[in-house]
Amino acid sequence: MLTMNEPMGRAALAKKVLPYALLSPAVLVTLAIVFFPMIQAAWMSLHDYILWKPKDFTFVGLKNFATALGDEVFWISLKHTVIWIALTIPAQLLLGLATALLLNQEFPWRPLARALVIIPWALPSVVIALMWVWIYDANYGILNEFMLRLGLIKASVPWLADPDTALYAIILTLTWQGFPFFAVMILAGLQSIPKSYYEAASLDGASTLRQFWHITLPGISGVLITAVLLRTIWVANSIDVIFVMTGGGPGYATYTLPLYAFIKARTNLDFGYGSSLAVLFTLMLLGLVVVYLRRAGRGID
Amino acid sequence: MPKLVSVTLALGLLAGTAAAQADETVRFWYHFDNADNPMSELVAKFEAENPGIKIEAENIPWNSYYDNLYTSIVAGNAPDAAMVKMFAQPRLVEMGALEPIGDRIDAWEGKADLQDNLLNLAQASDGNSYYLPVQYVVLYLYYRQDMFEELGLEVPKTCDDFRDAAIKLTRDTDGDGQTDVYGFGFRGGKGGHDHWGSLVLSRSGVDFSKDSLGSDAGVAGSQWVVDLFQKDKVFPPSAPNDGFKEVTGAFKAGKTAMTIHHIGSSNGMVEALGDAVSAAPVPECGGGHWTAFGDESTAIFSSAQNKDAAWKWISFLSSEGNNKEFNMATGQLPVTKSDSENWTLHEKRFVDATVGSLPFANLLPNTPETSDFVNTVWPVNMQRALTGEITAEQMNAEINKLYNP
Repeated sequence: MLTMNEPMGRAALAKKVLPYALLSPAVLVTLAIVFFPMIQAAWMSLHDYILWKPKDFTFVGLKNFATALGDEVFWISLKHTVIWIALTIPAQLLLGLATALLLNQEFPWRPLARALVIIPWALPSVVIALMWVWIYDANYGILNEFMLRLGLIKASVPWLADPDTALYAIILTLTWQGFPFFAVMILAGLQSIPKSYYEAASLDGASTLRQFWHITLPGISGVLITAVLLRTIWVANSIDVIFVMTGGGPGYATYTLPLYAFIKARTNLDFGYGSSLAVLFTLMLLGLVVVYLRRAGRGID
Repeated sequence: MPKLVSVTLALGLLAGTAAAQADETVRFWYHFDNADNPMSELVAKFEAENPGIKIEAENIPWNSYYDNLYTSIVAGNAPDAAMVKMFAQPRLVEMGALEPIGDRIDAWEGKADLQDNLLNLAQASDGNSYYLPVQYVVLYLYYRQDMFEELGLEVPKTCDDFRDAAIKLTRDTDGDGQTDVYGFGFRGGKGGHDHWGSLVLSRSGVDFSKDSLGSDAGVAGSQWVVDLFQKDKVFPPSAPNDGFKEVTGAFKAGKTAMTIHHIGSSNGMVEALGDAVSAAPVPECGGGHWTAFGDESTAIFSSAQNKDAAWKWISFLSSEGNNKEFNMATGQLPVTKSDSENWTLHEKRFVDATVGSLPFANLLPNTPETSDFVNTVWPVNMQRALTGEITAEQMNAEINKLYNP
């Protein structure tokens, strides 16, 4: 700033400012549509704020958080969220890994197979959810029909209406939707491993399994970790499929924390309590986010 | 703070619709299930009759209709007028969102043509009139005439008859050891409180007042519904999650022999089942009779720019001829006397069942809690009771807690 008068200084300043000037539109937009609502949600979570009582916006401190910790539904939802993440991510990962290994083999029509496998990922969640609602339907669903004909079950199972099966039925749907993401990421990772490693290994007499263990896995470990972190955050937050398939029902059987926060805010219009649920869940996810940001940061350096 | 809230909500919600409002534009929100939508014809007719007023009619999906409406009001982006139901009125009044239209109605030439009592039903608890009725229905029992005849059954007049009939109608028709037809298609998902109401709120002394649902009669009512599912097994196994689509779909497909809905679905039922489907008022249970009155009105919002134009539009929809066209699309019943005469859209037996049900048709309590009852408290607790996670007593206690904290 002080050297503004000198021509050299001005050039140097311009050089310094230019990157920020170029970045600022993106930063401003991000601030406006990501950070501002985040801070606003945190602010709302400290208040009694029910949308249809707009005049009543009372600061209540941590009351909403205390209520949440004593709320039966909060704990039910948290349990479901843990099951939801703990089953969906490994299932997607394993299925994605198997698919990627298959697609990495030489076989006719391979490009077509690679294109087709992306379909579940490319479909809108609502379409997927509606499709699976029909698959699971107790009266006309193909799953019941199939299992009845194979003699696996004696009577139609109302998969989504039974609290013991509903959550797992949706987890299966989400696994199907999300595995192509892993498949594609892992496939890209696989192709970055030089062929010569495998040639050298087989000359040394390494079995396929050992090659997988010592070359393939280390070669894709970076991709795997990033994909798992990213996907965990996405899956944890995803409510669209649950919302369309069961809306959280029957009872609380398919409530996850983000869905509970959404229903509280959007349906019951209790934005104070809904925000506090969202903030609590964000804090829980923050650990993961930090790990991810560290990895992402390291990648840039 | 509300200002801040409005800004973000406006960003997130329907930001586009706020733009470009000419002086004489009326933004109108409605919801039609029916895919063939007559609104454009009504709009064209209105615009021809009222040059200088432009109607922007927007069909908002029913499932998120009120979510969108409330949030748009808080965001300062509400429509000028909209279709609204009674259960939403207390909240809208509390928000100060509604424009009183009592004087306009009194001065309106179409007032005398409205069906008796509809305006009284639509009146707010503060004594003002905010709603102009545009259509109505009453819920009644649909049943399969052919199945009743085949089994020699009478149309149930009481809950005991109803249970007997439902048990007999639940059958394995093709002898493969599996139930093919269920006695009653119960709606356990959102909107099913009307079914529950007919079977529980009918009981004498049972309503939403303090500890009434917790009384023996109240608990017995919910328990009776749960038993129909768990013990008698007369509802399809998917009942806890079933909504409108599933319930009417199963009935049309012959998977259920009875269900409860209103005249709006009768044409679809007749298309699928012909003369095999008939209708009667819901049974009398525990010494009383209760069915749901399905109201629909239009209202003007206090934030509207052109209230005169908005009034012209909503009164147009409730006038002779236009109201008929409106209801031909929604499949409900016109609010004008002139259009109700010689009403030919529905078969007579369904109109008779509707009229026969009017004497005991009720609205849910006109209080802000009713929205939560309809949207979350009833469905969640009914589903939990049906699937055995809680008892009928606990379910009723939760509802009692909502209305009488």
